[in-house]
Amino acid sequence: MLPSPIVEELRGVVGRESVIVSPNDLRIFERDGSIEGALPDAVVLASTTEHVAEVMKIAARHKIPVVPRGAGTGLSGGAVTIRGGIALQVTRMRRILEVDPVAQTALVEPGVVNQELSLVVAQHGLFYAPDPSSQKACTIGGNAAENSGGPHCLYYGVTTNHVLGMEVVLADGSVHWVSGDTPDRTGLDLCGILVGSEGTLCAITKIKVRLLRIPPSIATMLAAFPSIETASQAVSAVIGRGIVPAALEMMDSVTVGAVEAHYHAGYPTDAGAVLLVEVDGTAESTRELMAAIAKVLDENHGYGLREAQTPAERELLWAGRKGAIGALGRIKPNYYLHDGVVPRSRLPQVLSAVGEIGEHYKLPVANVFHAGDGNLHPNILFDMRDKEVLHQVESAGEEMLRAVVELGGALSGEHGIGLEKAAFMSWIYSEDDLGAMHRVKDVFDPTGILNPGKIFPDDARRTVHLAGRTGLAVEAKWW
Amino acid sequence: MVVTQEAPRTADELATTLREAAQAKLAVVPVGGGRAQGMGGAPSRCDVELHTTHLDRVLEHSQADMVVSVEAGITLEALQEHLARDRQFLPVDPFNSPGHTIGGLLATGWTGPLRFRFGSARDFLIGIRVATPDGKLATGGGRVVKNVSGYDMMKLHYGALGSLGVIVAASFKVFPRPLHDVTVTSDGGWDDADRALATPVAPSALEVFSDGRVLARYTGSRDAVERVVKELGWTAEEQSIWDRHARRAPARWARIAAPRTELRRLVEDLPRGAGWWASPGVGVAHWAIASDARSVKEVRQRAEAAGGSLVMLAAPDDFLREVGAWGTPPATIEIMRNLKRAFDPDGVLNPGRFVV
Ligand SMILES: Cc1cc2nc3c(=O)[nH]c(=O)nc-3n(C[C@H](O)[C@H](O)[C@H](O)COP(=O)(O)OP(=O)(O)OC[C@H]3O[C@@H](n4cnc5c(N)ncnc54)[C@H](O)[C@@H]3O)c2cc1C
Repeated sequence: MLPSPIVEELRGVVGRESVIVSPNDLRIFERDGSIEGALPDAVVLASTTEHVAEVMKIAARHKIPVVPRGAGTGLSGGAVTIRGGIALQVTRMRRILEVDPVAQTALVEPGVVNQELSLVVAQHGLFYAPDPSSQKACTIGGNAAENSGGPHCLYYGVTTNHVLGMEVVLADGSVHWVSGDTPDRTGLDLCGILVGSEGTLCAITKIKVRLLRIPPSIATMLAAFPSIETASQAVSAVIGRGIVPAALEMMDSVTVGAVEAHYHAGYPTDAGAVLLVEVDGTAESTRELMAAIAKVLDENHGYGLREAQTPAERELLWAGRKGAIGALGRIKPNYYLHDGVVPRSRLPQVLSAVGEIGEHYKLPVANVFHAGDGNLHPNILFDMRDKEVLHQVESAGEEMLRAVVELGGALSGEHGIGLEKAAFMSWIYSEDDLGAMHRVKDVFDPTGILNPGKIFPDDARRTVHLAGRTGLAVEAKWW
Repeated sequence: MVVTQEAPRTADELATTLREAAQAKLAVVPVGGGRAQGMGGAPSRCDVELHTTHLDRVLEHSQADMVVSVEAGITLEALQEHLARDRQFLPVDPFNSPGHTIGGLLATGWTGPLRFRFGSARDFLIGIRVATPDGKLATGGGRVVKNVSGYDMMKLHYGALGSLGVIVAASFKVFPRPLHDVTVTSDGGWDDADRALATPVAPSALEVFSDGRVLARYTGSRDAVERVVKELGWTAEEQSIWDRHARRAPARWARIAAPRTELRRLVEDLPRGAGWWASPGVGVAHWAIASDARSVKEVRQRAEAAGGSLVMLAAPDDFLREVGAWGTPPATIEIMRNLKRAFDPDGVLNPGRFVV
C-alpha cells in the first residue's frame, strides 16, 4: 500500500482513473507470462512521456520501486513487481508517430503492438523484422527492453539490430534521446546498452526502428525427421553448408501433436521432430536455396518434404509454429519455459539432456524452438493447481539450464534474465563481469528504484540448489 | 616526455600493467595496429603506450557453429586467413588497410563498403573481454549467436575508442563466403547508385566516388546475381578492386555520417573539386581534405544540421586543433561522462582523445 498522499500525487499527474490501487484490480498486474507473481502497490497508466517523467520523479523522491510494463507477455518475470511499488503501464502510449518510407524508418510509442507495426507499414512494401511468436500481443517497448528475438532473427538479427534510437526516461525523471537514424554517432552507444536492459536502466517512451523491404519471393518448407537428434544434425548441416535461411525452427513430436490437433496445418504427427524452413529473396534465389536445403535435409534423414504452395498454406504453417505454446494447453494447463542458447552443434547433446531431465522428474516436456540459432525452448508442462509439482518443475528447469551452461551456452537467448534467472547469473559470469554491469546500473539508476530484484543475483532470494545430475563436463572458459 | 612502451604477452599481464599505470596516475594509450591513431583528438598526455601486438591468437573457431573467439591484437588479415580455410569470413573491410587489429576495429568502430549488407561489427560482435584501470578483466556476452544474459556490454565498448577499458579478446558470429561474388562498375554517379539501390536484389556493397564512378558488389545465389547484373548493364570489374579501395587513407581525411537521405546533398556541397567516396546505402562518406580548416567546419555545420556528424580521421596537429576532432558534443554527454568516471575514475585511458 502506498501512503495516500503519494497516491494523490500520482493522480495529480495522470488523472484519478489512471491510478489503480484497489487490491482486486491490482491482481491483473500481478504476473507476466512466467510463474512467479507479486502484487504492485499501485498501477499507473501513463499516456505521455511527461506522465512517465513525472511519475518517475515522484517515485525517486519517495524511493518507491518503478517497474515499466508493456503487454506483460514477458517470460522471465521482468514485469513482476517483486519489491512492490509502481507498475508503470505504458500500453496507452500506442501511436505510430511517423513512418518514413524513403528512409525506411518508423517512430513509435512503446505500447505499439509488434504485429500492428508490420501490418501498418506493409502498405509501403515494408516490414519490421523482429517477430516474437507473441507478436500479436507484445509491445515494441517490451521488445526493446528485452532485446527480443523471433523465428526470422536467424537471418535478420534481433531487436537491437533494428532499433535506431530511443527516447528514454531515467530514474531521476530526466528525458533523453539516445542515438537516432544516423550511423556512427559521436560518443558512447547509450542506445545499445539500454536495449535489453529489462526496465532496470530506463523507461522507454519512444522508439525509432529500421524497416526492411518485403522480399519479393518467400518459400517455406516443412520436413519430418525420425528424431530430435536427426533434426538437430540436419540444422547443423544446413548452416555448415554456408546457407543461412531466414528462419529454421524445430518442433518435437509432443508439440506437433498439440499443434496439429489445434490448427490442422498438416504437420506430420508420426514424426519424431519437424523442421520449418523459410528462405526469402528473389524468385531465383529462393528456388536455388530451397533446392540446396532440400538436398541437405534429404541427406540427413529428412522425409515428407513439403513446400507451401500458396500464401494461405504458408500462413497456416506459421500459425501453427507461432501458436505452438498456446496449443500446448491441450496437454496441461501451464507451461514453464526456459530459453537457453547453446552453440548450434551442441543441440543434439543438450536436447537429449533435456529429455532425460524431463523423464527423471516425470514431467512432460515439449520442445519448440529457434533451432538455427541454437536457442532452445523446452516447455515443461504441468498443472499449477498441483502445489507439489511446482517445485519439481522449477528444479527441472534449473537442471536444463545447467546443462545449457555446461555445454558452453548462455542463460537466455531472447526472454531475458528477469526474476527467474537472476540467481543463475554467476554460472556464466564472474564477480568482475557482474561488477562491470553493476557500474552501468549505478550510473543510470544510482538509487536502485528501477525494476529492483532483476538480472543481478540477489542474496535475499533463494540460493540455487542443484541435484547436479546432468553429468555434462563444465567447459573451460575460452579466455 | 618519455613514453614507456609496454607489450604484454597475456591478457592478465595487460590488466596488471594497466592497473599499475593507473595507480601511478600515468596516462595510458592503447595501441593496436596503429591504423587509426589519427582518429579523435591528440592525446593530452601519454606516459604508457600499451600495445596489444602479442595478443594475437585465434582462441577458438568452430566452423560448425560459425563462431570465432580471438585475442584483440590479431590483425584482420590474419583472422580472415584463418577463417578462409573453412570458407568463412568476417564481413569487415575498413579503409587504411591492411594492418588493423580486431581490438582497434572494435574500439574505433571503423567500417567499409560491406557494411551495407552485413552491418557493422556492432551487429555480429557476440562476446567481449575488457581490462579496466582497476586491473580487472570483465567479460560480456559469450560464444552463442543470440544472447540476452545481462547487459549488452559489447555495445558499451564498441566505438568507445578505449575510453572505458582495453579490449583484450572478442567473439564474433562469422559468415559463409558467398557462393557467388561479382563486382560491376559504371560512371553514372549518384543517379546510377540510386538505380542499383532500387533493384529487388540489393548489392552487398555500393560505393560512389567524386569522379562519378560507381562500384557495386553482388553476392549470393548465382541466378539472382546474374539476373540483376544483366539488368543493370554495367561493366564487369575485378574483385581485387576492393582490396585497392580498402587501402585508401588520405593524409588529411574526415568521415561524414548522415541520414541516408541527406548524404548526397552533403557530399555534393563539399568544396569544388573535393575528393570523396561514399556508401549511399549506409549514410557514410569519407572526404580527402584539400581545403582549409574553415571549410571543414562549414561542412561539419551542415552535417550536424542534417542530424549527422563529421569526425576527423587524420590531420596535422595544428589543423586538427583548429577544426576539432569530434564537433558538437552529444546532448547526453553528462551520462557518458558518468560512465567514463565509473570505469576510469582517474581518467588515465586515452585522455583528450575521445569525447569523454
Ligand atoms: C506465447 C509466447 C511466445 C513468445 N515468443 C517469443 C519469441 O519468439 N521471442 C521472444 O524474444 N520473446 C517471446 N516471448 C516473450 C515476450 O513476448 C517478449 O519478451 C516481449 O518482448 C515482451 O513484451 P511485453 O510488451 O509483453 O513486455 P512486458 O512483459 O510487459 O515487459 C517485459 C520487460 O520489459 C520491461 N519493459 C516493458 N516495457 C518497457 C518500457 N516501455 N520501457 C522500459 N522497460 C519496459 C519490463 O519492465 C519487463 O522487464 C513470448 C511470450 C509468449 C507468452
